[in-house]
Amino acid sequence: MKPRLFSILLFISVFLAACASPTAQPTLPAPAVSESQVTPTSTQPAPEFPLTITDGLQRTLTFEAPAQRIISLAPSNTEILFALGAGEQLVGRDVLSDFPPEAQGVADIGDTFIGLNTELIISLEPDLVLAAEITPVEQVAQLEQLGVNVFWLANPSDFEGLYANLAIVGQLTGRSTEAASLVAVLEERVAAVDNALLAKTNTPAVFYELDASEPAAPWTSGAGTFIDLLIARAGGRNAAEGIQGAFAQMSIEELLVQDPDVILLGDAAYGITVESVGQRAGWGDLAAVQSGSVYPFDDNLISRPGPRLVDALEELARLLHPDLFE
Amino acid sequence: MKKIFLLRRPFLLNGLFLAIALLLSLAIGAVVIPPAELLQALVGGTLPATSATIIYEVRLPHTLLVALTGAALAGSGAAYQGLFRNPLADPYLIGVASGAGLGAVLVMAQSWPSTALGFYAIPAAAFLGALLAVGVVLAIARVGKTIPVTTLLLAGVAVSSFATALSSFLMLYSENELRRALTWLLGGATLSGWQPVIAALPYVVIGLGVLLVSGHQLNVLQLGEEQAQQLGLPVERIKLGLIAAASLAAAAAVAFSGMIGFIGLIVPHALRLVWGGDYRRLLPLCVLGGATALLLADLLARSVFAPQVLPVGILTALAGVPFFLWLLRRAKAAWTW
Repeated sequence: MKPRLFSILLFISVFLAACASPTAQPTLPAPAVSESQVTPTSTQPAPEFPLTITDGLQRTLTFEAPAQRIISLAPSNTEILFALGAGEQLVGRDVLSDFPPEAQGVADIGDTFIGLNTELIISLEPDLVLAAEITPVEQVAQLEQLGVNVFWLANPSDFEGLYANLAIVGQLTGRSTEAASLVAVLEERVAAVDNALLAKTNTPAVFYELDASEPAAPWTSGAGTFIDLLIARAGGRNAAEGIQGAFAQMSIEELLVQDPDVILLGDAAYGITVESVGQRAGWGDLAAVQSGSVYPFDDNLISRPGPRLVDALEELARLLHPDLFE
Repeated sequence: MKKIFLLRRPFLLNGLFLAIALLLSLAIGAVVIPPAELLQALVGGTLPATSATIIYEVRLPHTLLVALTGAALAGSGAAYQGLFRNPLADPYLIGVASGAGLGAVLVMAQSWPSTALGFYAIPAAAFLGALLAVGVVLAIARVGKTIPVTTLLLAGVAVSSFATALSSFLMLYSENELRRALTWLLGGATLSGWQPVIAALPYVVIGLGVLLVSGHQLNVLQLGEEQAQQLGLPVERIKLGLIAAASLAAAAAVAFSGMIGFIGLIVPHALRLVWGGDYRRLLPLCVLGGATALLLADLLARSVFAPQVLPVGILTALAGVPFFLWLLRRAKAAWTW
């Protein structure tokens, strides 16, 4: 009997200790806010501050001044921040944020999927955590409870959406002017592609390969996705436009029926080479393989909804209509 | 001499280990907190705001959630092993894990950029899924007023397979959520803050509380159900109560920490190898030892690739299994059960 009683007492005392920190719970200090005011501001507070703004989760947030200590939770956000010249204001970034190369010099705060390092985020005393659609809402709620300002930037579904996102991040970081000029440049580049494509004589069918570790049923991207949209904008036609879903599987039989004019290897970064495609069973009969129209493609350009989407468009247009882009 | 002294006092020894593990878990993290500040935190002194937030709002609740999870898994694992008189039984045997997984994946498969999906959606769905799966298994296995163990195990395996297949299907077609779901399935207390601790606490305390006072009944059950019945034990009622208690604790653990394997299997066996199979002693030791083991595994998971956090379920297997094999080899006598 004795050991049992003792153990129960010990058990209870452990849990009492657990509950016995009532001081801890209501203390929700917001160190980020007070500390940030100490930091010298490089930009003059624009007249738009205090800024009241609604994020992608329909949360209304108020910012007193442009963010000076920013943590980015997605590669796309990091790329947007650097493109706006706000790289200096970045104090932390997720592990996948590897572009531009300067981003790798910023403190790594963990992996969005496997788990962000909450205590590192707190210790960096951010005045803005820029979350993205890959950030789970629970993560947003937790950081919010710890007194951190989180802005959840929704994914754009077209170029207009991208420009709107750039403007939002510009506002948050006090770089609206930079955002406006970046948008103007991007609009010009997109227009240039559109103009060049007016002279196109054909609309090649494109198979965009996301993964073909199972060559008999490779993964691609279906209708309505950004890949689908970019291929169309670049003067092509998505061979998988009849399938739904951002990750859609297509059988080799269907692929042979579609017989695309061009195959883009979005998985080139994982060691897939043009030569290896021809060696897959059945793939040798595809027109694209026989005509040598299989190209590696930097998937980061397309999968990260940031300013490099325009790079992706230009690159695609060049690959699909080489004669129109000299 | 000292070693023997401590070995003869398993509660003191395991309590000591747990205290050390709790302290280490509070002291070590991605951010270095000076020992002076830690000491101040322990005696309730004032701290710089950032350190205070990290210790009180991040590390302390995380540490307690991990300890609760470990205790719940090891405690319910030992109870299941005793109940089914099967050394391979673990907390997930009759559907807790697969039910929880199905619940969680069902929620994750929804398009979740909506405000309606709150903080608790996934743990709540996992918890309900776990209890629902166990409920279905019990309902299927029930023959008249009895629940034959063989039927129970078979129903458990069948329901688990079904739920797992459904989860796999959902995961495959939930596109972006695939990685997230996989991470959840691998386990790890990624939720921080006090809410999960407070939410899990009552279920774990009630579940483990029932198990802790059932040591004697479990001991008698080891003689066989018929024997126990003849000795005047209300076997069916005890079985049902123990299953409910163990499932409740395990479901709460899984809901907030994902599926953490091997703790519920290895900790009870390791403690049994050292201190014998008396459930009056084994169950409380498992509560202490399970918390300690998971705290240490979690500490490793947080430090090895810091600032990246490994799913702790991977580490409990990678670090726990070799330790257990060593223990098994060292116990030179044949495995007595």
